[in-house]
Amino acid sequence: MRLPCPYCGNRDAAEFVYRGDAAPRRPDGEAGMFDYVYLRDNRAGEMRELWYHAQGCRNWIVVTRDTVTHEIHGSELARDNKR
Amino acid sequence: MGEALTVSERTGLGIATVMARRGVDAAAIGAVLGCALPGGPGWRNGGDLSAIGTGPGTWLVMTETGSGDFAEDLTQRFRGLASVTDQSSAYAVFRLSGHDARTLLQRGVSIDLHPAAFAPGSAATSMISHIGVIFWQMDDAPTYEVAVFRSLAGSFRHWLDSVAATL
Ligand SMILES: [Zn+2]
Repeated sequence: MRLPCPYCGNRDAAEFVYRGDAAPRRPDGEAGMFDYVYLRDNRAGEMRELWYHAQGCRNWIVVTRDTVTHEIHGSELARDNKR
Repeated sequence: MGEALTVSERTGLGIATVMARRGVDAAAIGAVLGCALPGGPGWRNGGDLSAIGTGPGTWLVMTETGSGDFAEDLTQRFRGLASVTDQSSAYAVFRLSGHDARTLLQRGVSIDLHPAAFAPGSAATSMISHIGVIFWQMDDAPTYEVAVFRSLAGSFRHWLDSVAATL
């Protein structure tokens, strides 16, 4: 599998470290912290996921990928994805 | 046509990483350096200095004119604009030149080095034989330079000699 890094271009997946779902946001207080730390959806289909380009530009990126077909619909720097 | 392949190590280089502070763009950093900087992965040569884009807002800046006060001097000039880290002793830089250089390098990297995809001025940060590398193309000979962490230079040279023997 190859992943499109917004800076480096298409690269072998071996250059990246997988982090998982990019959706969870850290809550301000204790409420919702358990869900934030432990609960994840097990999606079949399109998903936004965090990958770290460890052997390239050393940036976190968000990749939109279909977990069923492995089709990739795009990527962006995680820093541009902050809410 | 020149030699099929010449390999040499660059020595006495001043090398530093320059990381722009938030909101500071490549043009502002380039203006201080007096050298136009690549906005993406690329190599630019500006007289005394050359610069390689290694990530968003990050460049490896090199000079041939000595490693002495290079990073300290840059730190002063970039105060408030960028963070500077001395890398002069951190990287070993190899130069590969000649018409076999592309084939040799292509045996190590999973990045397309065909002239239509990777030309003079192109650069990339990747892996060769599990060793982190930064490399760039300088001319059509073709000539490439490859920077590896100095502690892994022996392992890199072992890979290079093994592949060169098969060419
Ligand atoms: Zn990258």
